[in-house]
Amino acid sequence: MEAEVIKAELVLPTHMSFKRTQMYEKYPKGQSKVRWKQLKQIIQAENYQNYDPDEPNYVNIESPPSMQPCKRICDITGFEAPYHDPRTNLRYANADVFKLVRSLPNEYVQRYLALRKAAVVLR
Amino acid sequence: MPFISKIQRQTDYNRFPSSTPIVIDNGASYFRIGWAGETEPRVIFRNIIQRPRHKTTGETVTVVGDHDTALLRYFDCTRSGPRSAFDGDVVFQFEIMEYILDFAFDRLGANGSRIDHPILITECVCNPVQSRSKMAELLFETYGVPSVAFGVDAAFSYKYNQLRGICERDGLAICPGFTTTHVIPFVDGEPVYKGCSRTNIGGYHVTDNLKQLLSLKYPNHMARFTWEKIEDLKMEHCYIAPDYALEVRLFQKGSEEAEDKTRCWQLPWVPPPTEEPPSEEEIARKAAIKERQGQRLREMAEAKRSSRINELENQLHGLEFLLQQLGQVQEEEIPSFLSKTGYVSKQEIESTITKVSQSLRKAKGEAKAEQTENEEKADSSDKYPLINIPDNMLTAEQLKEKKRQIFLKTTTEGRQRAKQKRVEEELEREKKIREDEERRLENPELYLEQMRTKYKELFEKVEQRKRLKTNGGHGNGNSSSGGVGRGERLNAAQRERMRLLTTAAFDRGKGEDNFGAKDEDWQLYKLMSKDNDDDDDGPDENEAELARVCSRLQEIDPTFVPKPETAPSQSTAAEIPRVRPLTKEDFQVVLGVERFRCPEILFHPNLVGIDQAGLDEMTGVSIRRLSTKNEALEDRLTSSIFMTGGCSLFPGINERLEAGIRMLRPCGSPIKVARASDPVLDAWRGASVYAANLQFQQQTFSRADYYEKGEDWLRQYQVRYTL
Repeated sequence: MEAEVIKAELVLPTHMSFKRTQMYEKYPKGQSKVRWKQLKQIIQAENYQNYDPDEPNYVNIESPPSMQPCKRICDITGFEAPYHDPRTNLRYANADVFKLVRSLPNEYVQRYLALRKAAVVLR
Repeated sequence: MPFISKIQRQTDYNRFPSSTPIVIDNGASYFRIGWAGETEPRVIFRNIIQRPRHKTTGETVTVVGDHDTALLRYFDCTRSGPRSAFDGDVVFQFEIMEYILDFAFDRLGANGSRIDHPILITECVCNPVQSRSKMAELLFETYGVPSVAFGVDAAFSYKYNQLRGICERDGLAICPGFTTTHVIPFVDGEPVYKGCSRTNIGGYHVTDNLKQLLSLKYPNHMARFTWEKIEDLKMEHCYIAPDYALEVRLFQKGSEEAEDKTRCWQLPWVPPPTEEPPSEEEIARKAAIKERQGQRLREMAEAKRSSRINELENQLHGLEFLLQQLGQVQEEEIPSFLSKTGYVSKQEIESTITKVSQSLRKAKGEAKAEQTENEEKADSSDKYPLINIPDNMLTAEQLKEKKRQIFLKTTTEGRQRAKQKRVEEELEREKKIREDEERRLENPELYLEQMRTKYKELFEKVEQRKRLKTNGGHGNGNSSSGGVGRGERLNAAQRERMRLLTTAAFDRGKGEDNFGAKDEDWQLYKLMSKDNDDDDDGPDENEAELARVCSRLQEIDPTFVPKPETAPSQSTAAEIPRVRPLTKEDFQVVLGVERFRCPEILFHPNLVGIDQAGLDEMTGVSIRRLSTKNEALEDRLTSSIFMTGGCSLFPGINERLEAGIRMLRPCGSPIKVARASDPVLDAWRGASVYAANLQFQQQTFSRADYYEKGEDWLRQYQVRYTL
């Protein structure tokens, strides 16, 4: 380890005196083999449907979808966008922006759409 | 103001008795830890870790929090991005959590065999019991903590500010955090989770949105838009517009106010050193160098040529000598003699001699090129001797020879004729240009007028043709399309073709189609293809002429502006991006609309595709969920709306929220929005004050409790906030 790295104490020491079991004992092979459950799986495993629906739990305090009309703004400039391009599925504000929209290569089009989670996902 | 991490190792751990609780605010953005009863947390750092590999030793190490990027050059960070223990606002990666707690306790100065203090740790609202139990297990088992309490950070912040008088006993706490936003109603000083509402949008999404927008707008500077830098930009420049539509209209019009609101970030840029025009000496020196180089090359070529000539001459001499020797040798001994030298027969030696002498001549005589040309012309009749002799006097071989000579003659003659024609054309063009110049010089005004009218006419013609091509049969599309569905796209030629085909089909017998029976029928296609070709050539001529006239006008007329074509498909294709020197402006990042477009997603999450209610709507949802018929309570709630959390630092959020809530509530109801005194640290401070209270110990649960009472009890476990 280089001297300045040690001096700056950048790296976490491997042995902590206040711990009962150290990390290297718990996970001998470096990374833990345990696949931690993602949030979705945790929620599923909770089985909230077995409990009283009136009781607040992680799932039923989530907000409902918005009642307000969807605000449409231009994907590129941020102005109000009453228009929509059927070929690229982008929203644009006026004719100049439209020219720009049509001249974009596909990669940029998909990235703009990804801002709104409207990109085509090939998975 | 950017957050500052404090990771100095504390030295006074042993001063605190075992009863002093340690207070941890475990947030998705920052991790804060300190002692109960104090006003500032001791250690603050970003809640992420990285596990890079050391370049030389190869071991994988852990680096917690944000750190000096310069030191990371000793590590290979390609496969280790920053990782967080959180998914949304729930902790799920307990290995990472363990590293973080290690680091935190270490910096707090912990020593001894276990952490012997009660711990108050924050969690999200309605934390799933699995996450809660794993956290408890981690604390009890690995760190040996005697007792643990879980609380909600927004609630602590609310209680702290209630003591300060910023909010009342009944109120609404709105907490836009890093990954989520919560709205929690408080009744009688306790949070009512039934009325709580959570949207999965937060500061992380705002920063991410800003980062993507800037990267798309300035793809050249993408490397500069790091997460930390963008967060700094967000904290410094972003604000919330009181009305998005109005604000955006200002920018669209390009008004002065919009200019004032635009911020510009100048990236470091060094102008390229201007090249001074080379001075006289420079030019002279360079010319001398070039001259010398040319001289050297010529000498080298000379030397090579002379050496080659020598070589060839030597070879020639050798061969002649050989021939002489051969003449002296006896008849029988010829084959053996020849096999020694490597040539098979006398003819071969003679042919090699002729070849060598030819190349010698070529090497010697470049000046002889002209002579050979003259010779060629003179030889034309000699070269093709057989042409003039009539056929019947020649043998079969000679006939073949004659045919070959005829062919050669015609080709060379053709080539000469073509060259002649080209020269003539050149002369003619020069003459025309000269005439043009004369005309221009003698009467510039008239000439200009003529050019302009010609340009207009040509332009009209080209436009018309283009319009015909695209709108083709709009005039008579419906009738002539016949069986073809895409009638409007057919131009004149294609319609003609269709017409020919259909008439050909109908010309035949009644009901029977025997179009191809006779050979002459197929002549029809000859007519058609001709039509097609004409159409393609025509516009090209016109367009070429137009381009010529246009360029001419541009040269001579300073006021001429070429009219933009309506369908500039050709012009855009032909435009080569002109390389111009980079200026200062290229290195500026302009934040105009983005300043208030990005925080707008807090109020309209469907701008980023998250289909949930925004901040103002969430308050309505929350009040509705409480479903008290008590109007007075609702009024009390709205008159004490409290904002906490990192994202509430955006300027303009108070007014916007107030306006939004006013739209939801009945007219005249009291609305008051207050912000926490320190939205970032108040959660920790509230927790600290809570833990310092004497009754805190009753709210915690110990290891024994945890193992005896089981999961169900843990699910029901809630801390009482009013002590």
